[in-house]
Amino acid sequence: MSSTKLLTLKTSDGEEFKLDEAVAVKSQAIKNMVEDDCVSNAIPLPNVDSKTMTKVIEYWKKHSEEGVSKDQLNDFDKGFLEVHHSVLYDLLLAANYLNDKELVDVICQEVADRIKGKTPEEIRKEFDIKNDFTPEEEEKIRQENAWAFD
Amino acid sequence: MEFFWSSSHVPVDYFRFLPEGCISEIFSLTSPKDAARFSAVSRTFMSAAESNVVWEKFFPSDYNDIISRSDSLMVSPSKKQLYLSLCDSPILLDGGKLSFSLDKKTGKKCFMVAATELGITWGDTPEYWEWLSHPDSRFSKVAKLNSVCWLDVRGKIETRMLSERTKYFAYLVLKLEDRFHGLGNANAVVRFVDSESDNDAEQRASVVRLSGQGPRATLPLSRDDGWMEVELGNFFNDIGEDGAVDARLMEIRDLGWKGGLIVQGVEFRPE
Repeated sequence: MSSTKLLTLKTSDGEEFKLDEAVAVKSQAIKNMVEDDCVSNAIPLPNVDSKTMTKVIEYWKKHSEEGVSKDQLNDFDKGFLEVHHSVLYDLLLAANYLNDKELVDVICQEVADRIKGKTPEEIRKEFDIKNDFTPEEEEKIRQENAWAFD
Repeated sequence: MEFFWSSSHVPVDYFRFLPEGCISEIFSLTSPKDAARFSAVSRTFMSAAESNVVWEKFFPSDYNDIISRSDSLMVSPSKKQLYLSLCDSPILLDGGKLSFSLDKKTGKKCFMVAATELGITWGDTPEYWEWLSHPDSRFSKVAKLNSVCWLDVRGKIETRMLSERTKYFAYLVLKLEDRFHGLGNANAVVRFVDSESDNDAEQRASVVRLSGQGPRATLPLSRDDGWMEVELGNFFNDIGEDGAVDARLMEIRDLGWKGGLIVQGVEFRPE
């Protein structure tokens, strides 16, 4: 059995997280650094705050656990993603930065599920999006895409 | 679904700060109909919703191969435009044997088999069936029924050409001339050629109405292209490994003379 190596990750707000290398390399970015052998000290992650890193690690750990069934993972993911869209945004940026494609895909699917089948008004309301079209511009777009607005 | 709002929550449009690649991925996981609506949400949404990256994902994976079977030159300023063009203007494949289009809301594949490729009993006999061009037809020839006792028209398609995990309907695409006569009802059935014999399928054929009294819903319906259509049946295409599907219209029990219909083809499409 190979010895587990611990990595130290340092977030933008100065907090340090110690994590098994085997788990941390879910991030392709971290994996590259490990392979390039530049991890003697803490790995700086200036684009991720501790609040978000905590959630990312929670996801990584669950998805590294042994003996977890697919159903249990799905249930976990469902609960994990049941957060305000501002949290999803932070998670998506972090997953993108850390280059964890699996996590990026899962978050994108969650956002897609939240905007599917909704009208523009509903989407704007749910995601605090300002309508920056003039009424004439919006009407033109709706007419050009009339088939989608039945 | 309850979301927790922190006491200091200020509404922020986060989509404005997401990398375009992320927004494109999110939109490509929705549907063509959704993406077209997203253009009306905000400028940020519109920019991503019109992008080639998003619309490329809505095409069937084999669309380039399919388009290469057409003689038409497909030039479009954007993938969205190409997508809409394939929905609104079917293209002819294989020298005009069948046409191809996409179902607008879902991007699923639709095919119409030309009359010349259908199995029409007595189709070679000019007193019964005539072959001519028609201004409204996308194909070079349509089949005009002068008169026949034994009406049996069938169209076939390979399931591997169709979109996976999709329920398909088969329609006979036709016009009824003023002199249309002898066909109040007919029988129709759709079968998987490899797993059911013609005879077995015939036993379970359903009745379709072509004219006469009765609930309007069961009569031929008008299409947008100036033709009518009669539903022949439906089937579920799983992963396209079920061989060919055969859709058949027949009136071979009542052998009175029938005539006055024009057949353009048999269409296979999702709704």
